[in-house]
Amino acid sequence: MDTLVSKYANSASSASFDNADNLGDNLSGWDAANQFALPAFDIPMVANPVDFLRAHTDASAENRIRIQHGTTTLAFKFQGGIIVAVDSRASGGSYIASQTVKKVIEINPYLLGTMAGGAADCQYWERELGRRCRLYELRNKERISVAAASKILSNMVYDYKGMGLSMGTMITGWDKTGPALFYVDSDGTRMKGERFSVGSGSTFAYGVLDSGYDFDLSVPDAIELGRRAIYHATHRDAYSGGSVNVFHVKETGWEFIGNYDVGELHWHYAAQPKGPVV
Amino acid sequence: MAGSYDRALTVFSPDGHLFQVDYALEAVRKGSCAVGVRGKDYVVLGVEKKSVLKLQDDRTVKKICMLDEHVCLAFAGLSADARVLVNKARIECQSHRLTVEDSVSIEYITRYIAGVQQKYTQSGGVRPFGISTLIMGFDSDKVPKLYQTDPSGVYSAWKANAIGRSSKTVREFLEKNYKEDMTKEDTIKLAIKSLLEVVQTGAKNIEIALMGPDAVIQRLELSEVEKVVAEIEAENEKEKEKAKPASAQQ
Amino acid sequence: MDTLFGITGKDFVITAYDSKAVASITLMKIGEDKSRELNPHTLMLFSGEPGDGVHFSEYIERNIKLYGIRNGMELSPRAVSSFARRELADSLRSRKPYSVNLLIAGYDTKTSTPALYWLDHLASLAEVPFAAHGYGAYYCLSLLDRYHRPDISEEEGIKLMQKCIGELRSRMILNMPDFVAKIVSKDGIRIVQI
Repeated sequence: MDTLVSKYANSASSASFDNADNLGDNLSGWDAANQFALPAFDIPMVANPVDFLRAHTDASAENRIRIQHGTTTLAFKFQGGIIVAVDSRASGGSYIASQTVKKVIEINPYLLGTMAGGAADCQYWERELGRRCRLYELRNKERISVAAASKILSNMVYDYKGMGLSMGTMITGWDKTGPALFYVDSDGTRMKGERFSVGSGSTFAYGVLDSGYDFDLSVPDAIELGRRAIYHATHRDAYSGGSVNVFHVKETGWEFIGNYDVGELHWHYAAQPKGPVV
Repeated sequence: MAGSYDRALTVFSPDGHLFQVDYALEAVRKGSCAVGVRGKDYVVLGVEKKSVLKLQDDRTVKKICMLDEHVCLAFAGLSADARVLVNKARIECQSHRLTVEDSVSIEYITRYIAGVQQKYTQSGGVRPFGISTLIMGFDSDKVPKLYQTDPSGVYSAWKANAIGRSSKTVREFLEKNYKEDMTKEDTIKLAIKSLLEVVQTGAKNIEIALMGPDAVIQRLELSEVEKVVAEIEAENEKEKEKAKPASAQQ
Repeated sequence: MDTLFGITGKDFVITAYDSKAVASITLMKIGEDKSRELNPHTLMLFSGEPGDGVHFSEYIERNIKLYGIRNGMELSPRAVSSFARRELADSLRSRKPYSVNLLIAGYDTKTSTPALYWLDHLASLAEVPFAAHGYGAYYCLSLLDRYHRPDISEEEGIKLMQKCIGELRSRMILNMPDFVAKIVSKDGIRIVQI
């Protein structure tokens, strides 16, 4: 038992990627696959790296590093697969940095990740995940399962828990088991689910999404529900806005459905009668 | 220093051999025989057990090891080397489950084992594992799998194969008698029959493990093996009976 | 804050956890598994810092499974809990400690006795007749003091668990919709309707 114990002495996942047996070390030339198995960052050699950086991350800090935080993203399973819908606003505090951010990260033709929290953290780790998924595919001659992909992501960010990573993402895709949806965040939480919304506007999105959801929704209705939920979130959440990007995950991989400016959506919906409450 | 190239492991001989690896293969050839047979829904491993000494506890001598709930390994060669390799493989099985949630595929764990064996042919201060292995199990696709690895780190998939002492004879026997889509009973019978080619002492020196689509490892009791052996012997008798009149006519 | 319960009986341990997964004020999911089967007769329930529970318990689970495969026999609940305690204690003294509270429910097949171990995030371990983690403990420990006997039957155990959960549902401000109860006995681990 002690072998596995020592292997994982620091955390459940850090050692698992460096398969180097003690033996391998002394022979090794340079194994690229192993070398890049887990990205390792230099961490300040202090007891608490987060405290060390506090001077630049605190709200009151003079030269504060501002990280993009506000977002609304959602994904849900239904009979026709999975719908993923997101807004496109990047904000730093009260400043809108961009209205055209791509918050759905295309990991590969079968996997999508969404972006909430730190934009850089999501982009970096999901790109890293994409690389690892491709390696998995090459090594094992089959596509990685969504469960495995999300677990890899969860393990990677869990290693940096408490060091300031900020990431709330949904990993979706279609594998041997059918459509799959996982929520993964920088706390190390990872869970399978049917319906998730993440970000500062998520409560607003949930309101529309939960009330209009039905597993048997048709594809056009499901797309409309996703788009509408994001639109309503952008309407109420100041940190969400721009346009809605909608994706549909199917057996053949994901498909980009469209980009809808929330300003135009607003008048489009305003002109529509609201219909009876069902 | 002529001739010293068979001392340092990582040095090729002029004709392209790694002598230590060749010697390891020789150790495998001296080890007791192991066979693996793949049927339609079942896969069977069988090994020739060394005779247990009078005062020895035979429960402590096992040549078929479980790597994970759905993977089994049999080996031929140095048992002590196998123990080390099996240990590494078992850790990898659990580690794989921990990091990607799914259990290992049979090919994955074979590749891992072969990878470890290969490493020991290219590292300083070590010698290769003196064992070949047969690995059986099921992936999620419910198709029986059978793989083989050897000390050089080569691995390959098989319908049926034998390793260890007289493996050539047994493999030829399997080649002659293998049929596609065998039932559970036929698969077990073929495994035992092929082992009997080299095991003189009968059922008590045969260890059999099999696995069905439920991927649960079953080990045959001595009585069950004896039953099959008796069946085979009866069949052989019949064959002889049949053959006799034919030869008498000549 | 998650709530975990465990009650030992004559020849079983009944455990329960609320199956909510919460992120700040949002209920992300109902039906989240907050337990792991360490071996056929040992169950671990976890609560605490998000992420830590799953990572720690799966790490323990894999080690216990490895032990079973290596040795052809399973560790007793007592051995499992000692191992878990040591792992947690070591992690506590590392740069990044796991912050988890655990209940380990087991049935020792050698001695035919049920066992329940309470383990908190500071790695103090105690064998107890019944236990609770989280806010639920404030409501239910007194209730369990009042009604628990070491020789209760399974039906009584389930009833007692229902009493605890009923109390939470009526008194706690948090909504406690779904509890999952699992029983560990000589036949292994199974889910019971509660």
